[in-house]
Amino acid sequence: MTTVSEATPLSSAMRSRDATVRRFAFTDTVFREATRSSAVLVLLILSGVAVSLFAGSWEALSKFGFSFLTTEAWNPVTENFGALSPIYGTIVTSAIAILIAVPIGIGIAVFLTELCPRPLRRPIGIAVELLAGIPSIIYGIWGLFVFAPFLQTTVQPFIIDIFHNVPGLSSLFAGPPYGIGLLTSSLILAIMVLPFITSITKDVFDTVPAVLKESAYGIGCTTWEVTRRVVIPYTRVGIMGGVMLGLGRALGETMAVTFVIGNAHRISASLFAPATTISATIANEFTEADGQLYTSSLVALGLILFVITFIILAIARYMLMRIDARTGA
Amino acid sequence: MKPMLSTDLNVAEAAVEKAKIEVKNLNFYYGQSKALKDISLSLPERSVTAFIGPSGCGKSTLLRVFNRIYELYPRQSAEGQVLLDGRNILDRSQDLNLLRTKIGMVFQKPTPFPMSIYENIAFGVRLYEKISKAEMDGRVEQALKRAALWTEVKDKLNASGLSLSGGQQQRLCIARTVAVKPEVILLDEPASALDPLSTAKIEELIDELQADYTIVIVTHNMQQAARVSRQTAFMYLGELVEFDRTEKIFTSPREKRTQDYITGRFG
Amino acid sequence: MSTSLALHNRRKRRNGVMMALCVVAAGIGLAWLALILGALVYKGLSGVSLAVFTEMTPPPGDAGGLLNAIYGSIVMTVIGVIVGTPIGVLAGTYMAEYGRFSKLTTVVRFINDILLSAPSIVIGLFVYELLVRPMGHFSAIAGAVALAILVIPVVVRTTEDMLNLVPNALREAGAAIGAPRWVVIRSVAYRAALSGIVTGILLAIARISGETAPLLFTALNNQFWSSNLNAPMASLPVTIFQFALSPYEEWQQLAWTGALIITLTVLGLSIFARSLTGRREDR
Repeated sequence: MTTVSEATPLSSAMRSRDATVRRFAFTDTVFREATRSSAVLVLLILSGVAVSLFAGSWEALSKFGFSFLTTEAWNPVTENFGALSPIYGTIVTSAIAILIAVPIGIGIAVFLTELCPRPLRRPIGIAVELLAGIPSIIYGIWGLFVFAPFLQTTVQPFIIDIFHNVPGLSSLFAGPPYGIGLLTSSLILAIMVLPFITSITKDVFDTVPAVLKESAYGIGCTTWEVTRRVVIPYTRVGIMGGVMLGLGRALGETMAVTFVIGNAHRISASLFAPATTISATIANEFTEADGQLYTSSLVALGLILFVITFIILAIARYMLMRIDARTGA
Repeated sequence: MKPMLSTDLNVAEAAVEKAKIEVKNLNFYYGQSKALKDISLSLPERSVTAFIGPSGCGKSTLLRVFNRIYELYPRQSAEGQVLLDGRNILDRSQDLNLLRTKIGMVFQKPTPFPMSIYENIAFGVRLYEKISKAEMDGRVEQALKRAALWTEVKDKLNASGLSLSGGQQQRLCIARTVAVKPEVILLDEPASALDPLSTAKIEELIDELQADYTIVIVTHNMQQAARVSRQTAFMYLGELVEFDRTEKIFTSPREKRTQDYITGRFG
Repeated sequence: MSTSLALHNRRKRRNGVMMALCVVAAGIGLAWLALILGALVYKGLSGVSLAVFTEMTPPPGDAGGLLNAIYGSIVMTVIGVIVGTPIGVLAGTYMAEYGRFSKLTTVVRFINDILLSAPSIVIGLFVYELLVRPMGHFSAIAGAVALAILVIPVVVRTTEDMLNLVPNALREAGAAIGAPRWVVIRSVAYRAALSGIVTGILLAIARISGETAPLLFTALNNQFWSSNLNAPMASLPVTIFQFALSPYEEWQQLAWTGALIITLTVLGLSIFARSLTGRREDR
């Protein structure tokens, strides 16, 4: 019972205890190193991605050099490859998608934090997040069979009709209405990134201290004024982070776009025209590419996509980290 | 209970006390800032010592040096000597896990592990001892009895430790600490999160445990220190201001700062 | 006085308009979810039959099922999760436990977040260069590795987050009874964070079970039944991709049905995962 009564059989107990201590020290070291190497493996994966893409695209890059980025041609027969039109398609579709998704996403976030009746808040928030979980191929098949025909038969002829006499806009919305093309891809992308932007915006809105909002309401501000003058300025960095994250998604999104972009390697002024993006080109052509140079050019496209998204995502994470640091302090 | 205590004190006064823990010129740093300044004191075996002082005075820091729990965090370091039975525990060769089986600790908030009541206690015992199921049952029962919790939980040993009330959880933590048979028990404001009734139970328990263990308690509650401890250390701004028999500290302190604190003039 | 009243009215009107727009935005978001799910159920359900689950993918113009594609998806997903989860949990454990204050953790967290949202087609290219090219042929193994690489960042992130939520007092209490660090992690921290970590794994499964791009040039596709891990293997998403873009009506119908199966699986997994952590948040 007392500590003293332990004294007699101590020596053998002590010895087994020493063995236990040594065993513990050993297993602890093993476990610690296992966790550390797994953490290092995460770093190795990302550097592995960079190195392998660079190695795989070496042939194309050394042949075409910098002109790879500025050439529109993409000709497997003459083996002349340039990345300009996929880059153009990628940037234009993502930009339009973001322009559409950001206001709607912020609107939903405002709705969820300020207007929504409390019992509905969680279900609607979850529904929006579920939208983020739907695999992109679903958006693709829906876009191809439901959305594109709808655009082709109703929306596009209508728009072409309205603008065909307006200078500038007439070439932006020039016919024939294929249904698939740049604008359709942009709209599908907008739907896809909307949940990301919404849930991050909602999260950063929740970081605004209640007292700050209350004091604005206290001097008679309307909900819109509180949102516009207090909430959005306070969370600007976080919203930007969310937008960047959405942009990263849109730039790299493959399947949804591959279905509805039309895979045409040319830069056209019309938003209704078929085009291509980096990821759609790779998805469509990689397994069929014959010849080292063709494959290497596709990997080079992958490298360009990787570099662009890496930069965008790094900026996004940096911004989100800043808002985390503020709430942490 | 009261008369028992006073006889105890008389005996203690007569005996030449054996020091269980001796602190010699201890300094402690959080990064660059010095949190403990040249602390020296010696804690007698099988008695209760209380550390009191305003918050931030270093009393918890000092307690956390005794089992080197501070080493879980970076940039915290101690220099000087802390002798447990004459051996310096700050020595780098000291195995931390072994040290902590000898010096148990109970925290401010109850910290039951996310497992059953039985497992909460068996978990620590099993680490260093290979014993049969029957022996383990005995150990668990003994520990729970020691912590005055047995009658309340004996029919639901498989229930989660988290299902108990705050006071019960804290006694479970004491039982868990006692079960691994430590020599010293460190209590870091063990009753500050509890209601008065549970507090009284814990204090009673401390009084009983000092028959077998050397107990160190950090408390911000001066009445509590006066009730449970035999000697009291008053700390202020990282310094040990005064260390004496509790009776003496609370009736005729030598230092003016001690007097100011216990009469409620600051802190 | 009258001007201030006019101002007040203008402000109120403006508020009304903006708030109405927000409601419209929410309506659009929900309507889209309903539209997509509605089309899926409408088009997919009509093709659901026993044959879908018992017959192989048919040649063009024939009737058939999706058995080999479903089997392939399950096999590669399971291997991907089995390979990716331990690595992810261990890495997350390092970041929240042993290395909580280390520089390595900050770097890994940053890189992991990038990996988390990196385009999955790039991961496919990486595995192609890493495995397919040296081996000389497409294989289920390569597909599973690509999926594992997608699992890792999700699991790393949730493991770290969930372990960070475990109060330090519990770790101190574990250490205070003499338990070594790894025992405290295994028996205390993991147990306290269990539901959160499981949620992360489920979300990772949900994510990879619909992934197409990384499988396109790793596992490729296979018209026939194959359980050979060293050979090309069919998967539901790649089959959908191939069938949907084909001109054959039977294939398109199978694509819709496959899409419905994937969506229900993914939604089911995410709802289940959320219900695990939902209880925690309510407390």
